[in-house]
Amino acid sequence: MIEKALDSYNAGEEKEPVATEVVLPMLGITVEKGKIVEWVKKEGDPVEKGEIIFIVEVEKATTEVESPASGILAKILVPEGVEVPVLTVVGIITEPGEKFSEDAVPQAQSPSSVDSVTMVTSQENASMAADGIDIIKAVPAARRMAREHDIHLRDISGTGPEGLIFARDVETMIARKARPSEVRASTLARRLAEKERVPLDEVTGSGVRDRIMRQDVQAFLKEPETTEMPLGTVIPMSTVRRVIARRMSESAFTAPHIYFFTDACLDPLLDFRSVVLPDLEKRFDIRVSINDFVIKAVALNIMDFPILNAQVNGDEIHIMPEVNVGLAVAMPEGLIVPAIRNADRSGLINIARQRIDLVQRARQGKLTLEEMERGTFTVSSLAQYDITHFTAILNPPQSGILSIGKTDEKLVMEKGQVTVKRVAQIGLSVDHRIIDGAMAADFLQNLKWKLERPSSTFLTV
Amino acid sequence: MREITYAQALNEALKECMKEDERVVLLGEDIGRYGGIFQVSAGLLDEFGPKRVMDTPISEAAFVGGCIGAALTGMRPVVEIMFIDFTTVCMDMIINQMAKMHYMFGGRGRVPMVLRVNIGAGRGAAAQHSQSFHALFMHIPGLLVVTPSTPYDAKGLMIEAVKNDNPVIFVEHKKLYAEKGPVPEESYRIPFGKADVKREGRDLTIVATHAMVLRALAIAEEASKKGIDVEIIDPRTLTPLDRQTIFSSVKKTGRLLVADEGHKTCGVAAEISAMVAEEMIYFLKAPILRVCSPDTPVPFSPPLEQAYIPDEKDLLPAILHLMEYA
Amino acid sequence: MLIVKKQCCQGICTEWTRISYGGFLMNIEKKKLRELYTTMLRIRLFEERIVDLYARGLVPGLAHLYLGEEAVATGICAVLRDDDYITSTHRGHGHVIAKGADLKNMMAELFGKKTGYCKGKGGSMHIADMEIGILGANGIAGGGLPIATGAGMSAKWRGTDQVTACFFGDDASNNGTFHESLNLASLHKLPVIFVCENNLYGISVSQKMHQPIKDIAIRATGYDMPGVVVDGNDVIAVYKEAMKAVKRARAKEGPTLIECKTYRWRGHHEGDPNQGRRYRTKEEIEAWKRKDPIKQLTKTLIEERILTKKALAALEKEINQEIEQAVAFANESAFPKAEEMYEDVYIREGETE
Repeated sequence: MIEKALDSYNAGEEKEPVATEVVLPMLGITVEKGKIVEWVKKEGDPVEKGEIIFIVEVEKATTEVESPASGILAKILVPEGVEVPVLTVVGIITEPGEKFSEDAVPQAQSPSSVDSVTMVTSQENASMAADGIDIIKAVPAARRMAREHDIHLRDISGTGPEGLIFARDVETMIARKARPSEVRASTLARRLAEKERVPLDEVTGSGVRDRIMRQDVQAFLKEPETTEMPLGTVIPMSTVRRVIARRMSESAFTAPHIYFFTDACLDPLLDFRSVVLPDLEKRFDIRVSINDFVIKAVALNIMDFPILNAQVNGDEIHIMPEVNVGLAVAMPEGLIVPAIRNADRSGLINIARQRIDLVQRARQGKLTLEEMERGTFTVSSLAQYDITHFTAILNPPQSGILSIGKTDEKLVMEKGQVTVKRVAQIGLSVDHRIIDGAMAADFLQNLKWKLERPSSTFLTV
Repeated sequence: MREITYAQALNEALKECMKEDERVVLLGEDIGRYGGIFQVSAGLLDEFGPKRVMDTPISEAAFVGGCIGAALTGMRPVVEIMFIDFTTVCMDMIINQMAKMHYMFGGRGRVPMVLRVNIGAGRGAAAQHSQSFHALFMHIPGLLVVTPSTPYDAKGLMIEAVKNDNPVIFVEHKKLYAEKGPVPEESYRIPFGKADVKREGRDLTIVATHAMVLRALAIAEEASKKGIDVEIIDPRTLTPLDRQTIFSSVKKTGRLLVADEGHKTCGVAAEISAMVAEEMIYFLKAPILRVCSPDTPVPFSPPLEQAYIPDEKDLLPAILHLMEYA
Repeated sequence: MLIVKKQCCQGICTEWTRISYGGFLMNIEKKKLRELYTTMLRIRLFEERIVDLYARGLVPGLAHLYLGEEAVATGICAVLRDDDYITSTHRGHGHVIAKGADLKNMMAELFGKKTGYCKGKGGSMHIADMEIGILGANGIAGGGLPIATGAGMSAKWRGTDQVTACFFGDDASNNGTFHESLNLASLHKLPVIFVCENNLYGISVSQKMHQPIKDIAIRATGYDMPGVVVDGNDVIAVYKEAMKAVKRARAKEGPTLIECKTYRWRGHHEGDPNQGRRYRTKEEIEAWKRKDPIKQLTKTLIEERILTKKALAALEKEINQEIEQAVAFANESAFPKAEEMYEDVYIREGETE
């Protein structure tokens, strides 16, 4: 080893001049900061390795710190009296004769950072959906079984102390649900029913004392399918249906709804439309519908009553910046509400165009999420059905929804005379948390007026 | 099959191991000439000589630590501490050295030693000779903890312990030494981490250690007269613990009782309860109950000591209470 | 110390130098002297580098440095073979370097990197290398004594002539493990050399304040074994006593207690304010620094013309290079991953070392 050392020594390797940082050293594992109370060596002083270079105060005690190298204390970076974290570079020592330049200050050598240690939790949190505010006492196994069998705990009476629901209580309920009510049926009938999965409860019996015979089951099976959902079918909910179901319950159970109805005389509007329709069709190749007028009227009305365009967000009421009126479209798998953008600022033609496009794409299942979620107010029309009026559930997170029943010819008193007018009942449901009766009533009656005065309403278009 | 006592089964196991491997040596106080205070090492001094069966001075730190050094350098020592109570005198050697060397040295260096202790009250030995704090060792990573309840388990587990390369705390029970049971003549190993279902049942699960297994078996007979079918699981090793067998049983019965002779607070039963609550909560029909020793030192006076020891008088009410949860 | 040259040769080419120590002539190979010097210098330069690295935060946790005590570890370990054992203390860098530990692996372990001796899991106080007989540095005062005793028992059981050197401090000699271990080792005539590094302080409590005796070696009498006091800063003296003790141990005559009077230059740990001047005087430190073991040997080596000043400088340079390589290695190595925390708690069935 010594020979080798001698060789390299004799080879006279050049040493590169390098500045040495003087750091505020680690002063024990709990100490984080220190203050230099005295620079024993001043800038420009020569210093030997091991000589005291400065004195640091740490938690009321002072410690002398030795120089890490020999040379000249070229620069003091942290003066006396300043508290800095440990490992801060406080000075630079250069080789004697070395020129010190400001930009040669090396970056503070930070300790190699430890990658943030991510502790992998081995437990996977099985989060069970809450049953709402749970004041029902039940043992864990009971809860699980109830959930698995789609039984509400509130439908079970617990046999335990203070009504505690035991596992057995749920088991009993499950058994009861599973067991078919004692239906009187012949063996052949039972066999067929079992084979064809016909619930015997639904079959009318023609035998002695309403006993179900084989032909009754056969007849049941032969019944034409009126809808795509024959009785007794179990249909697993599609994603869409599940979402609708969830949102409807969310809305119904979160926002207290209040409902208002008024009759709107649609004669003026219907006449107005029939007048402008041919021209619009020729010019723009578009058939403007009554719904388009309604959407526009609603949008204009919202400008007068912006609270109807609001949403509840925690403790705040957010009045949405855009008026995007949604139109409910009935689809086989459920109701979809694409929204017409900026209905307040769009002309009738624009609204009509948007409506046609959205409805078409809705039917094809080609709507974007944004188109479905941007709505701030919804118009729902069952005018094509024989429905006078209906109460609609708000489309969360919206605060208002307009329902339109069919237009009917009605006998109306006018100036003491009986006349026939075409009248539609329009309904308004609002979120009573943020919209009270007076406001809603005001909105609705203003809307009615707008609809009944098409010339002035749509003049501002 | 012939029946021998728990102590005899251990003796056979040690003899087997010492015959097979000359690296196995025994150390402890009074284990040689006297044969051990519970006669576990009777006859071994005569058979293997004083070099391999060493009576030690009262220097637990030195001879337990000595076993660590010997194990690190090629031996496979089995050391006895007369009562678990005396492990306190050499806790540093057990917790800071024995348990951690393999880990601290980055996986290099092994401590293949067995530290034999015994627990259990009931002999009027009072507070410093009757404790059952084996939970302390279950708490320390790096140590394996073995708790046989029958002579059959004792022999198989001891042979496994000696052959295992990890440091093992082998926890015997004073009141089990004289219990007899069927034990095969040949050598056999019982793997660690495998619980034994000592009794199958449908209605509730008892996880029990040591003497609590026997007490649970006795009470199960009582309970079956009342139409209650008890399942009894004996973990046999606390580290590693056979969680799966316990979980399967709880899944089946939905009711759990954990019986261990340590104190209730922070004991083996507390750990098993927490573990089951954490992973199997939705299978519980009833709360988890623990039957343990009270949180007091072991009293001397016989009626007090009897009240202290958890046994049938504590198990039966617990079982009945659990069965109230239908 | 009287130095006598062999009559029939010329100065530097002499193979052997006879050194008079305390009136006894002792033949010691020049090669051995060089080795002793190299080892001490290695420890010295390594520890000095740690001062700097620790101050810069690169060595996390705690560091207890061996500066000033180099002669003890060097003198003792110079007599040991690779298959002999040592147990070390919290102030173990000197012992393990003297026993032959690799500076790269040491540095990496101190930095907490996975390429360290203990895969980063042990740190400064738990460095171990079974292959060269290092049964671990130990964070518990007195923790190594029973383990060393056990290694002695093991050698006896296995019928080998391996010996174990057990290092511990003055305050550790007050611990139960000291008494139990010496008793057991003497009782069974175990091949253990108990080396007490009496640096006059147990952390901040001076020897005067922690034991009624001055020479710990006298405690050996209580266990019917030889106890000697030696100048812990004279590496040749330590070496000589070590030779005697090892010879005795290998001959199965039993253990020895060697008390080395020495001193640590810096505080108990890095961060101990003012190098331990809260409880030690500047004068005392300076006085001991003047007895620098390396300076003492240097004087001998130069006067005896065993090594030239140039060679010494070259050696220093070479060792510094080795240390810098170790630092570079440690810097470049990776930290262990979080999952590795769970490894090696237990040994799995069939797992080989």
